[in-house]
Amino acid sequence: MANTVKLSRKDKKAKEGYNKLSPQHRKETLVSYLFLAPALVFFVIFVIVPIFNGVFTSFFHYERSTFEFSGLDNYIRLFGDPIFYKSLLNTIVLVIASVPIIVLFSLFVSAVIYQKNSFVRSAFRGIFYLPVVTGSVAVTVVWRWIFDPYNGVLNYVLQTYFGVEDSIQWLGDKRYALVAIIIILITTSVGQPIILYIASLGNLDTSHIEAAEIDGASSWQVFKHIKWPGIMPTTLYVVVITTINTFQCFALVKLLTNGGPNYSTSTLMYQVYETAFKNQDFGYANAIGVILALVIGLFSWIQFKFFGNDVDY
Amino acid sequence: MKKLLALVLALVLCLSLFAGCSADVAPAPESEKPVVDAGDDAAEAVEITWWAFPTFAPVDGEAGKYEQSLADQYMAENEGVTVKVEMLDFANGPDKIVTAVQGGTAPDVLFDAPGRIIDYGMSGYLAPLDDMIEALKPDVTSDAILSACADVDGNYWMYPSSSAPFIMAVNKTALETAGLFDQVPQDGSRTWTTEEFVALSKDMVKAGFNGMEVYAGGPGGDQGTRASMANLTGATITTPDLSSYNMSSEEGKAAFNMVMDGVNEGWLTGNTAGQAGDALEHFATPGGATFWAVNLWNANVGAARAGELEAAGQEAFAVCLPSKSGTPDLEYLVNGFAIFDTEDEARIAASKDFVSWLCDDEVVGKANVVATNCFPVRTSFGDLYGGDEEMAFYASLSEFYGTYYNTVPGFAAMRPFWWGSLQAMLTEDMTPDEAAQYFDDMSNPTLVK
Repeated sequence: MANTVKLSRKDKKAKEGYNKLSPQHRKETLVSYLFLAPALVFFVIFVIVPIFNGVFTSFFHYERSTFEFSGLDNYIRLFGDPIFYKSLLNTIVLVIASVPIIVLFSLFVSAVIYQKNSFVRSAFRGIFYLPVVTGSVAVTVVWRWIFDPYNGVLNYVLQTYFGVEDSIQWLGDKRYALVAIIIILITTSVGQPIILYIASLGNLDTSHIEAAEIDGASSWQVFKHIKWPGIMPTTLYVVVITTINTFQCFALVKLLTNGGPNYSTSTLMYQVYETAFKNQDFGYANAIGVILALVIGLFSWIQFKFFGNDVDY
Repeated sequence: MKKLLALVLALVLCLSLFAGCSADVAPAPESEKPVVDAGDDAAEAVEITWWAFPTFAPVDGEAGKYEQSLADQYMAENEGVTVKVEMLDFANGPDKIVTAVQGGTAPDVLFDAPGRIIDYGMSGYLAPLDDMIEALKPDVTSDAILSACADVDGNYWMYPSSSAPFIMAVNKTALETAGLFDQVPQDGSRTWTTEEFVALSKDMVKAGFNGMEVYAGGPGGDQGTRASMANLTGATITTPDLSSYNMSSEEGKAAFNMVMDGVNEGWLTGNTAGQAGDALEHFATPGGATFWAVNLWNANVGAARAGELEAAGQEAFAVCLPSKSGTPDLEYLVNGFAIFDTEDEARIAASKDFVSWLCDDEVVGKANVVATNCFPVRTSFGDLYGGDEEMAFYASLSEFYGTYYNTVPGFAAMRPFWWGSLQAMLTEDMTPDEAAQYFDDMSNPTLVK
């Protein structure tokens, strides 16, 4: 008997649909896929394969040259690891505190400047995008100077003009360190949403806005009923991408606090790094990475559920 | 026609992806082909890669220029050998090595320190260097140097070049301003007791200066806090046989308590976000605050910070770490080379020859020691600093070298627990006793890795 593959109803339909295509249409489809192929090859090599590799090795006791199957041991170990809980909590706090501020601030700035003349618009876009293109290392060097407890600008201002007596250890005091990270994260994250929101607001159909204004709608009503629904696809994108980027916050933590003091700024991504590169416990690090991916997936799913219903493409 | 063109274009794009891959399998040009060893007349062509941390003083302020000049000189003297130099930085270099080792792209030669090298050796990544060390033994200045090059089982993984003790420095300008410089030990080995140090610290704080920083923000220079704390109370970081960490001992807990008391009383300054680099920067370039002492110093650090100190109108003065007995146990730096086991005998042999040339050559070896501002590990190299009094002081400190524990298994994994325990204490998440116990409890399991 020849090898036969039993197709599902959906597959059968798809196959029939493909067969129905004219030869020219089929060629076009083939060409489209070939154009996609280069990107797809990179995607498979640098994203798909590492994902599978990460999941695979998370089931192994993988330290230095040791590589032994350990089943779910790494995952079970997670539940008894206080540093994991601290890192998870910090990560969630980081997301909950920074994402709404980033979205609202970006929207506010964009709403204020999108109708200004092109010079002003470009100037503001440039200013807010500067931290994004500057690079994490340069940005953190500047912030370290600002936050330095002894020679820093911030303490100097507070001590000179506000009567604060003691040097505050912004990055070394568990009361302030995560807040300091959040502030820097916000400044480095608002650039792209502002650019997107300005473009999105600029693309709204002005006839709807003008009609509403002629009918006596207030600014708030125009925003709520016309502009907000119009920019919902952008909002969904901004929220999801900002959330994912915040979940993966690593460079700021590594360069500013090394997760300290006493893991009060450690994030899951930082814990993955420390576990893999400092402790060389690669299997456990990958298990943390898998959990992080699941948490990100869960949050993204919730966001799609929440915002996706209102999105009209 | 357009479709055909698009199809061809897409195919070309796809194939171009593999162009880089195919280069490896394409026949090499005649000039690049390895020369087969055909006897004494023909040298075998070998290419080795040398990764180096910026330990040598930079030439013209350019990191890597000195290292490249060494490679160029070696290649000129050894036809058929190509040495590719790649510089690492202290912040990201260790991660780059771990990634390369796991990815099978480790270099041939690494210029580093024992803490990491011995770890790689015990993990099976390095070529043994016992043969080279055997030849060096009759000429080595101290057995302590050799112990730093071997793992706990006595296998040698590092070939040493130079060495220097880690001590501390005080701000001479600040002390003279306060009229207290005479309380600093200035004769002979410049040793002093904990009691003398604490008294001077309190006096300097009263005079308006900041107490010495106890930094706990990361691994950078964490040996400074370990050595200074252990000496304050006569504690030892590990037991003498290196079988366990020992800071939960009575002396160890006393050290944690003394530091916490010092921070609370103000004669020490806790910095939970800073590392040694920050403490050195605060020390060398005082802005609003002047720190009268820093607990990590050697000749190399002094040379690196000389410009900043001069610009700030400050002068540093090196002294031994204060200790309970007045006789310190110093940690020390050993600079040396490791050779990765690439399973290519020709590359390993070429690497060994290159390393031997860098360390043992009468001219090059001596120049390399001087370039690190350290001291030769070879007796035959003699005094390389021509009677310089300050360097003679540093050189004389080898008698205080303590137990070298940086070669124990899991040394790198221990370090986060060290500064983590200090952070926990300084942020009052733990009492000093709990922090000392936490360090031992968390670090001891790393010893068996």
